[in-house]
Amino acid sequence: MAPTTTMKPIPTDGFPTPTSSAQAETVKVLLEHFVAESSVPNLQKNAHMQFLMRNLSQGFPQRYTSQDASQPWLMYWTLQAFSVLQVGLDPGNKQNAIDTIMASQHPDGGFGGGPKQAAHLLPTYASVCALAIAGRPGAGGGWDQINRDQMYKFFMSLKQPDGSFLVAHHSEVDVRGIYCLLVVATMLDIITPELVEGTAEFIASCQTYEGGFSSASQPYYAPSNSDKPTLLGSPRPALGEAHGGYTFCALASWVLLQPFLPSTSTKINKKALVRWLVQMQGAPVELGGFKGRTNKLVDGCYSWWVGGAFGLLESVGIDPAAVSSSVRSDTQAEDGDWDDVDDSLLNRKALQEYILFAGQHPAGGLRDKPPKPADSYHTLYCLAGLSSAQHRVFPSAARRRDLLDSWTDTVDGGDQEAEAKENALRKRIFVEALSYTQEEGTETVVGGAVNRVNATHPIFNLTITHSDAMMAHFYGQVLPPRTLQRPAQT
Amino acid sequence: MPAPETAAPAKLKYAERPEWADVEPLQQYEIANPLAPILYSEEYKDATDYLRGIVKAGERSERVLELTEHVIRLNPAHYSAWQYRYETLVALSAPLDVELKLMDEFADKHLKTYQVWHHRRLLLLLTRKPAPELALIARILQRDEKNYHTWAHRQWLLAFFNEPSLWEGELDFVDTMMNKDVRNNSVWHHRFFVVFQSGVREGEEDRERILKRELIYVKQNISLAPNNASAWNYLRGVLEHTRQPFGSLAAFVQPYTVPLPASTTDIVDLENPPPGRDADLPCAAAIEFLADVYEERGGADNVDKAVELWRSLANEHDTIRKKYWEWRIREALATSS
Ligand SMILES: [Zn+2]
Repeated sequence: MAPTTTMKPIPTDGFPTPTSSAQAETVKVLLEHFVAESSVPNLQKNAHMQFLMRNLSQGFPQRYTSQDASQPWLMYWTLQAFSVLQVGLDPGNKQNAIDTIMASQHPDGGFGGGPKQAAHLLPTYASVCALAIAGRPGAGGGWDQINRDQMYKFFMSLKQPDGSFLVAHHSEVDVRGIYCLLVVATMLDIITPELVEGTAEFIASCQTYEGGFSSASQPYYAPSNSDKPTLLGSPRPALGEAHGGYTFCALASWVLLQPFLPSTSTKINKKALVRWLVQMQGAPVELGGFKGRTNKLVDGCYSWWVGGAFGLLESVGIDPAAVSSSVRSDTQAEDGDWDDVDDSLLNRKALQEYILFAGQHPAGGLRDKPPKPADSYHTLYCLAGLSSAQHRVFPSAARRRDLLDSWTDTVDGGDQEAEAKENALRKRIFVEALSYTQEEGTETVVGGAVNRVNATHPIFNLTITHSDAMMAHFYGQVLPPRTLQRPAQT
Repeated sequence: MPAPETAAPAKLKYAERPEWADVEPLQQYEIANPLAPILYSEEYKDATDYLRGIVKAGERSERVLELTEHVIRLNPAHYSAWQYRYETLVALSAPLDVELKLMDEFADKHLKTYQVWHHRRLLLLLTRKPAPELALIARILQRDEKNYHTWAHRQWLLAFFNEPSLWEGELDFVDTMMNKDVRNNSVWHHRFFVVFQSGVREGEEDRERILKRELIYVKQNISLAPNNASAWNYLRGVLEHTRQPFGSLAAFVQPYTVPLPASTTDIVDLENPPPGRDADLPCAAAIEFLADVYEERGGADNVDKAVELWRSLANEHDTIRKKYWEWRIREALATSS
């Protein structure tokens, strides 16, 4: 990181507005924070672990009442933050976690924000992911107590004519819910062409002129003389501007929908998406953190929502490493230790610095930015962002081959042709999802090995181990061992 | 000593109120020691115990409205309480104007909550009276100019009801908001939605004229504050949406890609408004735009010019995105060679 004196201030063109004033305030605080430290600080793993452990064992303070309808999220954020920090739970706490999560399963399918609450797509994702971490097969292990038939019915009951889903009955449509549904349906082997019909078109319609994605799009115009609403053709107007959280969810959904897309179907504008993603990275005076919308402030949680989204680009055909190396030598960076092996489009080093300098709360836990307090949500998404900036986790052709070789079809003795078709689709979904592999030897850990955290699956935000184990169970597969993946020689 | 407030009965716990004696409260967990519990207040625990009891019994009554309002006041993100309240309102055919009035208060108090806005939408689908809504939204946006839900709600309302009278004042509203903060990206997005994405309204059929109007609008705003990503994104969006070449703007963009000249001429040029005297130039967004112009033109000479501009971004004007600019260079060279 360059010394602050040489950092260019954010230009205001002699024309201050509320946005530029808020921006200047933030830069001031960030730089104070930056100057206070002379070298890159360590990741305070112990302090963060204690922050998480305190919540887990003593409970969340009363101000978390606003999260009463997000209890599975509190659990998931905490457990996954442990996983990223390379910490496992003891069997007693694990069982307690399983029993607590299962209390929120709704008798009619899906999980609620707490026991006896209505089912909702968001806590359903959080519950299933928390079970991927803490749970296991068999009695009392959670995995086999998930009611998948009811869950599928619940999902179908939320489906809208434009391919989108309500997040819960009588509730809103938004792409976060679709991401949550697709992750769960993929992991539990309940995703079908019927379930996701039209969903890709809906996702595509949420891309705005800026390149990022909005929360939803407008499906209907009011009927003039009939009660039947008319479905608009695609594209439908996006409701709300491009936003980091929605963009991650839309892009991850798009990747999960690939096995269902004929090659000629709806497209997204990838070039505009990449441009928008890189534009979200803040300037050096903002310590290189990410923002969630144009002209908004940097915030630690977008380290994952935007920073992590770069890890999905290869899956939609954007691979910066693919451009010929003869061209590359022309633009080779002259300094920097890892610059010559790093093909990512974001500034991975700066992002890590933002998290280490500004994201860590001195009392433990991570946060949006100083002087805000730490919370579970920002703790996970700062750590997950840090992880995605340290590791390259990519869809590996070698792993794909291994998975294809070891796949076994499920035979129910029904119509053979239909069964073969179904198995082919299940195989593709399984192989694509688990082909993500951590590349060895290309880690870019700012501050040295003490700051290293675990790699996470770029779609699910679970460790590779947890994603592997849960999907192998539900797809009835035995996984071939994972071997080290070295970068291709250029 | 002054007499205590007579609103006291509301403060009594449900467990102590005879009119609730017939409801069996349900505690949240049946397991003994849930992991990571929230340490609720007594009031919240009491109210939600009764809500769970009511939901289990399936009761739809006036007192359900009282109870759900209480829970929502304590935790406006309690979506199950909202859901149950909505179903109860419908079951009772409750007066919706009363509910909307309550919602006006909630919109002010809890404007960042999803459910507050979605409940309004459900009510509007029943009342079908969108007109008063625009003023309320405008008032909320005065206080929280970038509130995502509020802007999305406004866009839904306009597009769903699609009445000419609703759209009438929309560009003026955009101007009011834009005058407060030309860097407010929500306003730029709203303008794009109104002008390009919601159908063609009466008086706007001449799309050539609309395009010209929008280009003048965005160019003037860039001239006011050149380093404004929102305005440049709008300009790009307009050109891409209307399939205009970026090159058509080259003459306008060029002066923004170089340092400010020592003396400026005061010629008013509506087509190509120049940067103001306080502009911080060169402007990275302008350099990026001009590089795109060269790339679009194609041919080795033009690609070279684009590469030179990208290199200046990578090494000087926008170093945080060095990797991205280098990738653009590699891509352009790979396709042109
Ligand atoms: Zn945040």
